[in-house]
Amino acid sequence: MQPKRRLCVLRLLLPLMISLLAACAGKVEVQGDFPQPLVDQKNLVVGLVDNPKFYNFQYEEKSKDRLKWTIGTGGAQQKLLSTVVGAMFKQVEPLKKIPKAGSPAPVDLVLLPRVKEFQYAMPRETKVNIFEVWIKYSIQIYDNQGALVADWIMPAYGKTPTAFLKSEEDALNQAVMMALRDAGASFITGFERVPEIKAWLALPRAPITQPRHPAPTLPDDEETL
Amino acid sequence: MSRTLNGFFLLCLVALTGCTSVTVDEFKRGNASLDATDSVVVLGRRHSSDYETEPDLVECIGKEIGSNGDITVIGESEFVDRLYPWFEPRIAPMSVRSLHRIAQRDDVAHVLREYDVHYIIWVDGHTETTSSAGSIGCSVGPGGAGCFGFGTWEKESAYEATIWDFDQGKVVGKISADASGTSYMPAIVIPIPLIARVQAGACEGLGTQLRKFLKPDS
Repeated sequence: MQPKRRLCVLRLLLPLMISLLAACAGKVEVQGDFPQPLVDQKNLVVGLVDNPKFYNFQYEEKSKDRLKWTIGTGGAQQKLLSTVVGAMFKQVEPLKKIPKAGSPAPVDLVLLPRVKEFQYAMPRETKVNIFEVWIKYSIQIYDNQGALVADWIMPAYGKTPTAFLKSEEDALNQAVMMALRDAGASFITGFERVPEIKAWLALPRAPITQPRHPAPTLPDDEETL
Repeated sequence: MSRTLNGFFLLCLVALTGCTSVTVDEFKRGNASLDATDSVVVLGRRHSSDYETEPDLVECIGKEIGSNGDITVIGESEFVDRLYPWFEPRIAPMSVRSLHRIAQRDDVAHVLREYDVHYIIWVDGHTETTSSAGSIGCSVGPGGAGCFGFGTWEKESAYEATIWDFDQGKVVGKISADASGTSYMPAIVIPIPLIARVQAGACEGLGTQLRKFLKPDS
């Protein structure tokens, strides 16, 4: 083969080889919107603890037997939480940390969301024509003095069928969106059914008075998040 | 000349399509009556763990029902979004009684009234590849590329549509559609797919029967 022709063949094969190598890894940053839920608003002021690990959550596949997928759900989770919590409670206050006994936060309850586990399954692994996603959330609920009211383990599940000409990225995005919608539905319908929360809601309490200058929150151990 | 060419292309298209057979069964418990303002919702069941009723099939059935323009069909995603979270897979009503329990909520009842929903049609089922055989090999070389071989696969669809009369609070009918077909792919340099439109066949069969059920005189 002439050197010029060989160079031309190499030039043609190089993009093909690069795309084949890229096929061994995938990245999805989950995108989508959540509808405004139909829910009875509770007369509660809720503090939402800023948890960067939750808002920037990214799952990275570590198994040697699977493709190296990176699935970022943090942004979508943040969107879901603000939509659902905003609709469920009278007022939502952002908090930097969980309040301490000496310096109560001007709220009724404090929510700290965390992702405990994330799993996914592709059609080629299960031999079923659906993409599946499981997320296990831990929603820790504290009173305004930082005492733990409940540690609610909330599982979420989403699936989407394979479709002709639909990429794996799009299918995974859709499956995660379905799991997040399921999480939102569980949060709305299950919140008052959690025994500890139900008991707390039944307690008589004085209405929250908003201080003019909110009490400063003490720095907390990062590991608690 | 152009008419001859069009006819030739149509003949090619028909020849390039695999065969599909569709069986439709109907069980009727009452007569449907739709007013001009009434609307119909077609929803897919998504509670099973080993399959998922395809959203495009549900959309196709909706289009088939509303194809004459005399039945108002509300899109699945629009309806489910407006009533979030009450029609999400895990908490969607499994019976007319539980639908009425949800409809006791003022906000849900308001949306259902706004849409003037009379019938809710739940579609449950899926399409799957039941068997496949043959192989096709492709190779690329400096002189060119080409494929050689023969592949065939069989697909089966099984769907059941349950029609809920929201106003009367009962199931008024069930229609099922089973479809199957074999697709072929011979490859002599270029692969030529002869695809059997199994899911589309089930959609047409189920959609047409549902339209007749809802508007018998149309």
